Amino acid sequence: MINLLFFGRLSEFTKDVSQSYECAGESMTPLIIREKLTLESKALGQELSEPQVLVAVNKMIVKWDHIVRDGDEIAFLPPVTGG
Amino acid sequence: MSIQEDDFDIGVEHLRLKSAGNGVGAIVTFTGLVREFESEPKSTDFQRNLSTLTLEYYPEMTEKLLSEIIQQSFDRWPLVAVSVVHRVGSLKPNDQIVFVGVASEHRIEAFQAAQFLMDYLKTRATFWKKIEADGQSHWAEAKVSDNVAAAKWEG
Repeated sequence: MINLLFFGRLSEFTKDVSQSYECAGESMTPLIIREKLTLESKALGQELSEPQVLVAVNKMIVKWDHIVRDGDEIAFLPPVTGG
Repeated sequence: MSIQEDDFDIGVEHLRLKSAGNGVGAIVTFTGLVREFESEPKSTDFQRNLSTLTLEYYPEMTEKLLSEIIQQSFDRWPLVAVSVVHRVGSLKPNDQIVFVGVASEHRIEAFQAAQFLMDYLKTRATFWKKIEADGQSHWAEAKVSDNVAAAKWEG
């Protein structure tokens, strides 16, 4: 199981989408999961495809083609606005 | 470094920096507050009364990023101590949001490091603001000016 987290404005688009995915032996990346999420919600897919959106796996920022494994946590991070 | 819902006391933070070591000859502090008025997104001529500012963060990752930013400030300048406090949760106008304090031997590095810490915190630390104003809510947009300010420290 791969858990998904959506922060900031991305959380407004996740009401009807999966919050986790089963790996089922296949090779998974945040990019593949983004494609799957886009099929569930086009609006979320558009938000996730914005170039400023970053992805973290197990709380480390990674590239979109990073291989994820069972038990990993993927977080989708819109531009930060703290301070 | 602390991420907390509770308010902080800048007097206590200042005293901690002052007591950080014998070599302290300068302390620079910055405190960020919640503004009472929020500019309408993509407009500068219309302001709304802010009622609540909610700060979200990513537990563990945000602490890690803040620690990395603080470490970078020590790598760049000869500092004695750095203190960063960032509040999360529900805040009201005029509430304190963020504190950055730097203690060093001389003033120049303390001023520079404090600005660096704020510029990097605003563009790299995983916090997100949700603004409620005049009965409507929206997520704050990242500002280009913040990225420009942070980019000045690159290279």
